[in-house]
Amino acid sequence: MQLFKDLYMYRELLKTNIKKEIRGKYKGSALGILWSFINPLLQVVVYAIVFPYIMRGSMDNFLIYLVCGIIPWTFFTTVIGQGCQTIRANAGIVKKVYFPREILPISVVLSGLINFLISCVIILLFVFFGGLGISWHLILLPIIALFQSLFSLGLTFILSALNIYIKDTEYIVTFILNMAFYATPILYDTSLFKGNIFFQIIFKINPMATFINGYRDIFMFHQLPDMQWMMLTGLFCALLTVIGYLIFKRLEKGFAEEI
Amino acid sequence: MEEKQNAIEVRNLSKAFKVAYDKPTTLKEHLVSLGKRNQVERRTVLENINLDIKKGETVALIGTNGSGKSTLLKLMTKILYPTKGTLKTYGKVTSLLELGAGFHPDFTGRENIYFNASIFGLTRDEIDNRIGDIIEFSELEEFIDNPIRTYSSGMYMRLAFSIAINVDADILLIDEILAVGDQHFNDKCYKKLRELRDSDKTIVIVSHSLDAVKDLCRRAIWIYKGHVQLDGDPNYVINEYLNQIALDHKETRKKQEKEGNRKNRGIVFIDGPNSFTHFTPTKNHFVIRGWSLCDYEDAELRIFVDETQILDYIKISRPDVIEAYIQEFAGFIENDDVGYECSFDISTLSFGEHHIRVLLYDLINNVEITDKDVVFYYDPVEVI
Repeated sequence: MQLFKDLYMYRELLKTNIKKEIRGKYKGSALGILWSFINPLLQVVVYAIVFPYIMRGSMDNFLIYLVCGIIPWTFFTTVIGQGCQTIRANAGIVKKVYFPREILPISVVLSGLINFLISCVIILLFVFFGGLGISWHLILLPIIALFQSLFSLGLTFILSALNIYIKDTEYIVTFILNMAFYATPILYDTSLFKGNIFFQIIFKINPMATFINGYRDIFMFHQLPDMQWMMLTGLFCALLTVIGYLIFKRLEKGFAEEI
Repeated sequence: MEEKQNAIEVRNLSKAFKVAYDKPTTLKEHLVSLGKRNQVERRTVLENINLDIKKGETVALIGTNGSGKSTLLKLMTKILYPTKGTLKTYGKVTSLLELGAGFHPDFTGRENIYFNASIFGLTRDEIDNRIGDIIEFSELEEFIDNPIRTYSSGMYMRLAFSIAINVDADILLIDEILAVGDQHFNDKCYKKLRELRDSDKTIVIVSHSLDAVKDLCRRAIWIYKGHVQLDGDPNYVINEYLNQIALDHKETRKKQEKEGNRKNRGIVFIDGPNSFTHFTPTKNHFVIRGWSLCDYEDAELRIFVDETQILDYIKISRPDVIEAYIQEFAGFIENDDVGYECSFDISTLSFGEHHIRVLLYDLINNVEITDKDVVFYYDPVEVI
């Protein structure tokens, strides 16, 4: 409970840090914060042009399908990428001032979440003008976004702390994220691997696959995701956050020395 | 007697740092070094420290460089954590370890006040209430809305100190920052610190300025080679501390002598005349004045004007010099007559450029230890 007390006490720091995280990243560029929305859109454009050629007989509304996958995925990779470096990036204050260190990973995840929720407007524009319409299923959006945030937070806790002791972490993570991109149904549909047990298991245990399919269900297909599995995944993510936090707390004692 | 509450409790605390000559930071290095784990050298900086600091006390930590006093302060701040033992603090802690940590050069002074104060755990309302005091204390009213990259280093320090001092913490930890800004601001800081001392705040100061310690603190803790050597009234503790430094200096010198690599250290200073002074025949004499310090007893002070040595100089008592160098030269200063003064008859000189050279001469090895030069001019008429 110390965590929540600390977070409440240091709420101003959390707030300024989130602001810095959102605005600071593209500081100095002409388009500024717009880049966090343009980037995933450009990615969508590239895949939308290239993929119909590779995958013959592509599905209906492939563009919207891509948007629903890439925007949540961007949320995930941005948070993990930034999160890995957050302690190092703030070495100056970590070495000199005491403040609850968990503020740093938490503000990375929260800033990512805020960015994602704004980006959801883009998804909505796509489904609306794509003629798919909007349904009540959208009320599940905060729940899935929360689960994804917990998943990212748990990983960020572990990776940001580990990266202080082993510098390779961030490079290994970059590689794993690249692999995970293909192990997640972003460019393709899970039905593509219907007979393949191995891939079916991967899609099941990969929380990002569950989330992205969930987003598609509520944005595109107007149906309920597999709620039982979604809740189980959510539970797992909550557990991961707790474990991640405990690891972070254990490792944080050496930050100032090892950094 | 009323039992006061503890603000800081230190129990059986030890702190060791890993001294790895090439610390493994990458995965490959970690894997390679797995087998030779035992090679990691640990240097114990603090050993078995037990301390209680009561609420409302003003305590100074003194000790030589590397004695571990700054480490102890960092442990109190919870930047570092003990290897063994515990350290507990009761109440809100603010540290002035490094002023302006987390300042962002592109933001204005005002924005940085918000950001810096939020690192200390203040909420927006609390900062809003204090910002007037902070700006007033820093005397930066005109510049507060300029980005702080445009600030001079003095302004930067003033802003940082003003924030830290106004955080209103229960425990204030200060590391060697009592030299902030100019004399005027410095006095103000001392005044503020005295005010805080007389309130119920707990203050822990690390300082090399022993006079400041005597002035501000009611208790001094001397950390010597990683343990608490003495703890009590500053006057006595400081005195013992200086005696120990004197002993240590002599010890080191003996060791160096044995190994044959002793280095003599000396300082020569010429207070007057100033460099590039112009003299005219209206005055016959001028006075050469200054002081010298040396950690070598077989050293002789020699004063030259051009090539002529001046032999008849008098020694003068210079308590101000002693005060400034007491720690550095403890054990080598026997009397306080480290000053010198002599008169020189200028009429013996030709017109033109001349040099005064004062040096310390090592009589055993016949070498100069250190010297100081001053150039002056002897002109036939006043140069305007």
